[in-house]
Amino acid sequence: MARVSIDPVTRIEGHLRVDVEVDGGVVTDAWVTGTLWRGMEKVLIDRHPTDAFYISQRICGVCPISHSHASALSSEQALGITVTQGARLVRNLIEAAQYLHSHILWFYTLAALDFVNPVNALSADIADTYALAQAAGTRAADFGAIATRLQSFVDNGQLSILSGHWWDHPAYKLPPELDLIATAHYLEALEMQAVAAEIIGILGGKFPHQMTSVPGGTAFVPTESKLDDILFRFLKVKDFIDTALIPDTLAVAPFYLDAVGYGKGVGNFLSWGVFEEAGFDAYKRFLPRGFAQGLSLEQVEPTDVTEDVSHSWYKSASGLNPADGETVADYTGYDADGKYSWGKAARCKGLPAEVGPLARMVVAYLAEASGQALTPDSFGAIRTPKVLIDSTLEALGVPGQPEVLLSLLGRIAARNLEAAYVADLSVAWVNELIGHVREGTLDGFFAEPTTDTGKGAGLWEAPRGSVGHWIDVQGGKIKNYQVVAPTTWDIAPRDDNNVRGPMEEALIGAPIEDAERPLEALRIIRSFDP
Amino acid sequence: MAQEAHGALYDLLAVRGVSRRDFLKYCGSIAATLGLSEAMVPQIAAAIESGAKLKPALWLNGGACTGCTESVAQADSPDVATIVLEILSLNYFETVMAAASDAAEKVKEETIAEGGYILIYEGSVMTGFEGGTLVVAGKTGLEHLKEAAENAEAIICVGSCAVDGGWVMGRPNAAEATGVQGFLNHEGIATPVVNLPTCPVNPEWVVAMVVQYLLVAGDDAAKFLEMTPMVTRRITDAVYGTDVDLLFPKSLFGQTIHDNCPRRGHFENGEFVTEFGSEEEALGYCLYKVGCKGPQTFTQCPVTRWNRRASWCVESGSPCIGCGGLNWVDNNTPFLMRLSDMWLGDGLTYVQPGSIAAVAGGVVAAGLVVHGLGMKAAGRVPGGAPTEEMKEYDRKRMAKKGGDK
Amino acid sequence: MAAHAHYREAHPLVFVITHWINLVCMVMLAFSGFYIHYPFFDGFMGVARGMHFVAMFVIIINLTLRIILAFTVKTATQLGSREVETDIKNWLPQKENRHQFWPTVKYYLFLKKESPISAKYGSLQKIAYLATVPLTYLMAYTGFGLYGPTADWGFFAGGVDMVGGPMNMRIIHYFGMWVFIIFTMIHAYLANIYSFAPSRIIFAWKETVESEH
Ligand code: HEM
Ligand code: SF4
Ligand code: SF4
Repeated sequence: MARVSIDPVTRIEGHLRVDVEVDGGVVTDAWVTGTLWRGMEKVLIDRHPTDAFYISQRICGVCPISHSHASALSSEQALGITVTQGARLVRNLIEAAQYLHSHILWFYTLAALDFVNPVNALSADIADTYALAQAAGTRAADFGAIATRLQSFVDNGQLSILSGHWWDHPAYKLPPELDLIATAHYLEALEMQAVAAEIIGILGGKFPHQMTSVPGGTAFVPTESKLDDILFRFLKVKDFIDTALIPDTLAVAPFYLDAVGYGKGVGNFLSWGVFEEAGFDAYKRFLPRGFAQGLSLEQVEPTDVTEDVSHSWYKSASGLNPADGETVADYTGYDADGKYSWGKAARCKGLPAEVGPLARMVVAYLAEASGQALTPDSFGAIRTPKVLIDSTLEALGVPGQPEVLLSLLGRIAARNLEAAYVADLSVAWVNELIGHVREGTLDGFFAEPTTDTGKGAGLWEAPRGSVGHWIDVQGGKIKNYQVVAPTTWDIAPRDDNNVRGPMEEALIGAPIEDAERPLEALRIIRSFDP
Repeated sequence: MAQEAHGALYDLLAVRGVSRRDFLKYCGSIAATLGLSEAMVPQIAAAIESGAKLKPALWLNGGACTGCTESVAQADSPDVATIVLEILSLNYFETVMAAASDAAEKVKEETIAEGGYILIYEGSVMTGFEGGTLVVAGKTGLEHLKEAAENAEAIICVGSCAVDGGWVMGRPNAAEATGVQGFLNHEGIATPVVNLPTCPVNPEWVVAMVVQYLLVAGDDAAKFLEMTPMVTRRITDAVYGTDVDLLFPKSLFGQTIHDNCPRRGHFENGEFVTEFGSEEEALGYCLYKVGCKGPQTFTQCPVTRWNRRASWCVESGSPCIGCGGLNWVDNNTPFLMRLSDMWLGDGLTYVQPGSIAAVAGGVVAAGLVVHGLGMKAAGRVPGGAPTEEMKEYDRKRMAKKGGDK
Repeated sequence: MAAHAHYREAHPLVFVITHWINLVCMVMLAFSGFYIHYPFFDGFMGVARGMHFVAMFVIIINLTLRIILAFTVKTATQLGSREVETDIKNWLPQKENRHQFWPTVKYYLFLKKESPISAKYGSLQKIAYLATVPLTYLMAYTGFGLYGPTADWGFFAGGVDMVGGPMNMRIIHYFGMWVFIIFTMIHAYLANIYSFAPSRIIFAWKETVESEH
């Protein structure tokens, strides 16, 4: 039995430590530690709700758009504002651009290096690489040139960001040709994530940390020419998703099929819902709200949330709903049996819940399976979550068995399938907005508050999972503010009843070939995009 | 071998579809960002392509949101792949590096031991709970910074958090965050520090500074400081309370946003947006009345722009919130008002200067009216009360001296 | 204070002029300042700033000149008197002002019946008139700390850093305006509470020989 500490976990947002106990080549216990605390909630006290919109997104530089939207939603609920249809569409577009940006960046820049070995790519046969690319239906690149670039880079002896990694680890399984294809797409993805971010730049001023989705609507006024600039970029990104991200996923998966056998986690899935629909009903959002225990779907309300702190470095009361939440930090050092994380243990209906693309796709799949239409007819042929999941299961040879999704591989696939759905939606939304702008059928972009006192819960979904901002405004100033970020769910430590958090649970049972180099554990950790 | 590999940079670029002309264009835009003349372009190109060895660099994340890393991934000229493959050897860069855990820490320690690297630091310096607010690989963030800073040639602070603590040090600064320079002064570490604020950092500025460093310094940081015009701004450290002098490259932080803003014409014309998403916004009017902090914020945002020059804050319709300023949250909230709120003290709240002033003015005006009525009632108006025969002081003194004059 | 005659010796023509310039500049600065602070109607920012930038130089030059003149021009030592003395001596506290601060305060608070003996001006006015000098220079200093062409001069930039940045400098400058507004209200009130004779002399240079009293 060996206790392995992975610290720092790299290629994620922020700071994370994970300890695993490995027994007989299998993980038997795990502890996940958020190692940074900055006190965002306190900074917001006594400031204005709009300030919270601008500041609170700085919790996370990878999903700031979603935080900003959750913050705006919370203020709007507190101040009695319903945003206009124009603002709704603009916000959906900024959010969509961030999803595409984030999912591309995650797959290629953050996660790929756990499965793809660029050093191994050096021994690829160029002709075979082209043949393989064609067979896999993935886009070709100048593979010879990329191999040359890689060779010079490696020959130089300074490996820069590739330094020091376990490139000879036996858990790398791809043939060199596929490694080369993926490496080529790694470089191209760097371009594509930036194209997606340019859309946020145009709509929101800049990314990370946007400027326009202020409580009340949006400060951005779309014009046809700006929307054309956006449409062109969405199409470019969508093309990359269809011709690289999805086929790459399907090409790599068969080499790691064992990953459907572990990494499942707690099996409870929460989605607050994201991408607002015309009626502002969270259960009808384009990715709807819901809570799934296994594959059974139920409704969920903000009051279902509690946060335990018995294993976290806080001395405020445990088990509070965020609407009455408190944050009193009290660092007492690492103690796996006691307090060991800055993360609070978020619980839904008392249960640990996984959030993120897998959770959203499961909820959407179940909603569709029960007959709910996710998109209006006017959007035409959009690949909805159920269509995407069913066809993928078929491609992987497990048709009609959605339960295989509840695994490491499923978590990865769900994220990329979601990207395909969002790409389709984004194009439909731009076209819808262009139509409105052309015909002048919009009712403005900004609505004033109707009161200066109230409470609100802004519940939304970041690419990496459910985000909730709870606000209490009195006389135009913030009295209390609480954030339950995606990582609060996924990297949650144990709760008051000593029940593990989702990532901790997902690690249990994972095979570890080499306890000194727990690459498989890192794959599971990164699959959450923590 | 290594020499060849880099001499062959053009081939590499060519192979990626980047022509020599494109490459020189990169260099040209770097020159523009740095405010250098076109004549410098060949030298910039030489700085990028020369050198048998890539300049080693470490990128450390302190109390960061990873936004500055994200931002650097949006760099345009040259792009991020070129930076990490052909300009710098970024041996430690948590968010993108392949290695994790001990393997990652080992590369970092080796680089530190060898020296001769640039340290790029993102995020605030977390001093709360003796550094317990950030612990990585069993050591506090403070220890990591100290070790990496001591042996570095120079430090580039990316983003407002690294500069002075950023939003994290906003009142009440519960996690006791501060900036790199303040911390290093406290620790007596004299490695030169260049500051690149905004939240997150603008990627083009990072690239420009790195290239500038390679261009003029080689491995002599003193020469870099001498050759790069800087502005110095003095702040009071958020944690230690000491005076700290911060260096900012003048070409990037010497002028206000307002000086370079495309909406400036509307400002002068007195044409303002008073409501978001309005007709006035569609016309591109000035955002001053909705609290634009452009007049007080010294950055090149309107010139460099954001996201590969796609747009920037004001162009998108939002007022600048002054994220490139010092102590930017406390100094600029409420963002939608012209002047920042004043903090009345612990247990109290914030209040607008205008409210204080109006109350003071109103009280005095009312006081004078009441006083005037009093004067009338006392029969002093018009003409005044009769003047005393002798000053009270003299009268009292005489009384004491028993009438003796 | 009993009613006095108001002779030209109290305010020689040149000071009537400097006072006018001061008044006009102050009104322009305060009006344009208010506008810069928050443009309450459209289309005036360029003019407002131009006004502010012209008036700020004029008021500074005018004040400096006024101070120099104080050493050369003679003015009346007392209200209602034609006896003159170098102006600065009448501007600074005079012998009659000594020990009169509290009695003056008490008088205005209706705690003292008789008007205290005063020199050219009472103790309170003396303090106020003197305070306008450093205050105006303070406005200039804070203003030049905000003024593009001078903001990066070390002398001004140091002050901006000291107060914590240009935003705080603006707030101080803005509060400074309110200090002037409040001063002007009190000043005008005290000067004219008994009669408008003081205004007649300082604005129109018209003597009031006998008090109407
Ligand atoms: C005496 C020399 C003065 C100088 C050099 C000066 C300079 C300035 C400057 C440069 C600005 C900023 C203008 C801009 O950014 O467009 C300003 C603003 C302002 N000034 Fe002055 N000023 C002076 C005197 C005064 C006086 C006497 C008053 C009022 C009685 C005044 C009231 C204001 C106000 C209210 C603002 C707007 C502040 C804000 O809210 O931003 N100034 N001044
Ligand atoms: S939008 Fe802001 S920076 Fe631009 S001119 Fe107006 S006040 Fe100045
Ligand atoms: S324009 Fe202002 S808010 Fe926007 S990035 Fe620049 S300094 Fe920050």
